[in-house]
Amino acid sequence: MAKIIGGIGTSHAPSIAHAYDKNLGTDEAWKPLFDGYGPVKDWLKETAPDLIIMIYNDHMNRFFFDAYPTLALGVGEVHEIADEGWGKRNFPALQGDAEFGWHLARSLVADEFDPTICQEITIDHGILSILPLLCDTPWPVPIIPIAVNVIQHPVPTARRCYKLGQAIRHAVELYDHDIRIAIVGTGGMSHQLHGKRFGFMNEEWDNEFLDALETNPEKLTALSHDDYMERGGVESVEMIMWLTMRGALTDKVTRIHRHYYAPFLTGFGLIALGCTDIAEPAQ
Amino acid sequence: MSRYPMESGGNRAISDSFVFTGERSRKGYRLNKFAMSLTNPDHREAFRANEDAYMDRYHLSEEEKAMVRARDWGALIRYGGNIYIMVKVAGTLGITLLQMGAQMRGQSLDAFMATRPGADAKVRKD
Repeated sequence: MAKIIGGIGTSHAPSIAHAYDKNLGTDEAWKPLFDGYGPVKDWLKETAPDLIIMIYNDHMNRFFFDAYPTLALGVGEVHEIADEGWGKRNFPALQGDAEFGWHLARSLVADEFDPTICQEITIDHGILSILPLLCDTPWPVPIIPIAVNVIQHPVPTARRCYKLGQAIRHAVELYDHDIRIAIVGTGGMSHQLHGKRFGFMNEEWDNEFLDALETNPEKLTALSHDDYMERGGVESVEMIMWLTMRGALTDKVTRIHRHYYAPFLTGFGLIALGCTDIAEPAQ
Repeated sequence: MSRYPMESGGNRAISDSFVFTGERSRKGYRLNKFAMSLTNPDHREAFRANEDAYMDRYHLSEEEKAMVRARDWGALIRYGGNIYIMVKVAGTLGITLLQMGAQMRGQSLDAFMATRPGADAKVRKD
């Protein structure tokens, strides 16, 4: 039986990719962010999961509104890097896991979640902006991407995202290989990218969300999209994807690390939570 | 109360915001389809070489073309352009998200950046 060892909630942002590619990680403006990922990178290295499931959203790079999936699951052996409109970043393609991917598809559908099953799914900054901060290349671990529609309303409810996490946990428990899995939920914390409210951030709300995510996630599943958008900015509705990660963990969790930094356009949040039914190596 | 209580874009207005609803997606479909095509480097080259001819390939209306020509990001978003796709138009033209945002707020880039908590941190410009 496979097990989920823990989860990570993290912002994603094109600016993180830009800072990484321009080597700005030691500059005054970016150092706090890059340093913040150190302990989580170390934790991943120590615990060495065999697979990482990543919940994210595609930013109009793989999917268009001609047929926009509410949930999309990448089951291919390889996930190529997307050209988002300014050229592909210089990274190797991600490795997938077709066997686990198809198992996950079967288990999710049996549990009444019906993702679009993708044998090709190019990856954009929803995953790739933060992946190099979590591990070094060559990529050490296969990735199963699950894209959620958080762009074109109606988008799934916060509660639905949380229940998806529970269904993922169930699928992992049914898998007949003895592997250890980490799950990551990505999405910008407070931010708004359009209109006169461009640049809106709400540090207090972001931290309230991080508190509740750890100890009382049910509270966050009761909120509407309007609640999220009003408190964090319209594009921050992405935060509901962190609930999928949390739904896949044990009810009680151990905090490995938490970090927050909001310098420019968005609250960069990061939290790593260990499952309490797992014996972890000493920190 | 809406028939869809958890749904956005109708229950209450979010101030100064344009939630990307089905209605907006429907109206902005052609515009977004044109902009999405710029994820291909050959298409970016063709658009830069002759903007009008390229937009004609996607059958944009005069109103739509005028907003693109004017680089009027606020108008494009209000109309039904999706911000994640409009950044591809801007990027193709060498305009950054920060510049788009400052324009939408009616500020210069420097004035906008001065409002940021990290404004005092030295950012290398390159």
